[in-house]
Amino acid sequence: MKFSKILSLVGLWLCVSMHGQNKQLLYDFTDIPQSIMINPGATVDFKWYSGIPALSGLSFQAGSSGVSAYDLFANDGLDINDKIRDRLLNGMTTRDELSGTYQLELFNIGFRSQDPNVFYSFGIYHEGDAIGYWFEDYARLAIDGNINQLNRRFDLGDLKTRGEMMNVFHFGVNKTVNRKLTVGTRAKIYASIFDFNSTRNKGFFVTRPGQNNLLSSTFNADMQWRTSGINAIKDANSEETLGNTIFKRGFFGGNLGIGVDLGFSYKFNDQTIFTGSLLDVGFIYHSNDVENYTLNGDVTTEGVEVILPDALLNPNRDFWQDLVDDIEEIVPFENNFNSYVAFRPTKLNASLRYNWGEQALRAADCDCGPNVTRSNRATKYVNGVGGQLYMINRPRGPQTALTAFYMRRFGNIMALKATYTVDKFSYSNIGLGVNLQAGPINLYFLADNLLAYQNLADSRYLSFQLGLNIISWGKK
Amino acid sequence: MKTKGKLLLWVLTCFSILSSCVEEVDFNQFENITANPTYEASILYLEAPEDVINLVSGTSVFSQNFNFDAFSSDVFANRVIDGEIIYVIENTTSKELEITVEFLDEADTVLDTEVFTIDPEPTAIIQREIAYGAAGRSIEIIKSLSTIRVVAENLGDNSSISNLENPIITLKSSGKFRVELVK
Repeated sequence: MKFSKILSLVGLWLCVSMHGQNKQLLYDFTDIPQSIMINPGATVDFKWYSGIPALSGLSFQAGSSGVSAYDLFANDGLDINDKIRDRLLNGMTTRDELSGTYQLELFNIGFRSQDPNVFYSFGIYHEGDAIGYWFEDYARLAIDGNINQLNRRFDLGDLKTRGEMMNVFHFGVNKTVNRKLTVGTRAKIYASIFDFNSTRNKGFFVTRPGQNNLLSSTFNADMQWRTSGINAIKDANSEETLGNTIFKRGFFGGNLGIGVDLGFSYKFNDQTIFTGSLLDVGFIYHSNDVENYTLNGDVTTEGVEVILPDALLNPNRDFWQDLVDDIEEIVPFENNFNSYVAFRPTKLNASLRYNWGEQALRAADCDCGPNVTRSNRATKYVNGVGGQLYMINRPRGPQTALTAFYMRRFGNIMALKATYTVDKFSYSNIGLGVNLQAGPINLYFLADNLLAYQNLADSRYLSFQLGLNIISWGKK
Repeated sequence: MKTKGKLLLWVLTCFSILSSCVEEVDFNQFENITANPTYEASILYLEAPEDVINLVSGTSVFSQNFNFDAFSSDVFANRVIDGEIIYVIENTTSKELEITVEFLDEADTVLDTEVFTIDPEPTAIIQREIAYGAAGRSIEIIKSLSTIRVVAENLGDNSSISNLENPIITLKSSGKFRVELVK
């Protein structure tokens, strides 16, 4: 198998299994330090924590609202081309998406201020994110062509995609305002490594009966493809300096942006808590290594037209080249180096949790480190149940997910969170998160869509998050 | 009791993780993916009014070579499988005409010739589909096409005028070709 085909295959597998950025297992799982990354106003009780560099927070999510790898490549005796036609061409719409994200924490540290009501956290994480909607009409043109499609408009707007890679430098403040309310905010600097987006395309291609000739072909385009950093990455790849280039661009050598996260937790009473967060309200200004491509214009052609007697005036006229030149002039494919602003995909989280049951033991059972001064560990209920809402701003509008969850603590050493999530990708997404605390060592593993593990190839959505931290609640 | 509960949870968790599996898939099917779309578009339109025909002395109304590189470009020639060219010739003049369409390669070698003899108005319409590829003439003709030569001969007189409004002879043509998009 050719390398390009293997690459395409891997890409397809990744694409068809990619998903959004929902972290429903981690959200409001306040036993885990990284929960304040998705709600800076979470009620955390740590004295301090430190993530193990590169291991403190690793998350990968992949999914598709359309097909799975199994749908296409199952060894079922069916013709692959029939499956592509049935399940891709006839089974997906332009609302279906292929998207995904990953995050890797480079470091993450949090500590409580001298004011015990204030908790600071800061760090750097690396993030990649991409989304592409099913380009239905492009696929139909590529697979069927325009034969027998008179008057059908092939929508050029079906090309809608964006992607980026960046490092994020963040500093957050979490403040307990009173017994009921905790608020938090996190300032972010985005250091973009590369970015591409093509999300506002318009236009169509249509074949109609011609006025003079048999057929008339109309191409109407208002398309744009914006990139930054892509050329640097390509050059670095050919010069075998890819690692250095990514590192350099990720540490302020590329493009920069700013953003903010906001969050809160509000206790209606001792057992009922409402939380919310708004993440990545920000943008990146792309001015470094920018190259954009545009295709704008409206042209209709009926082929080479020779009308006598005018055509006899210049017997050497090259009608074909004139036609090509006219089309290129009317619908020019151009590039420019104009700076642009790309807004980040803003996320909204909210949850309502009810706690009950006996309260878990306090720090008396905690085998905390030697350098702690005073225990800050809060009393927590053994059981918690509730619901969560997640929304993310995407090129075709917001996407929403609803989650029901149940949490259970086993002393101070173990906590579980089980979730059931409904979104456009799946109605059977059951997830399980495990948080383990061995003295100051904290280990968590969160996995989504567990039913899909019965047949990974048939999964339209997989995600996992894991991390390793050192936590102190202070001296007992 | 609590210890047993924790142990049970650990066992269940580990079992869930370890019980994951992948039903049989065959990624070699990727090799069998084909995409052979058919595209159609107009090729050449030629129009000559009767008064221009009458101005020409002799029988040769028109003879011209048109550069046409669309089919010989690599992006098309390397992928075309088969197809057909459709001609529609309509004559509303008072003369019998003969239209000859020739396909020439870069060396001006005639690869293919199609001759249309068309009656005068009122019933003069010819439609002809010429297939290329396995079911017709050699597809190499299309792949090598560089020039279209059109020759119009007047088989009638040089003075009569049709009673129809705006009498003209028109040659319309379009092509539809199947291409191998995924090789």
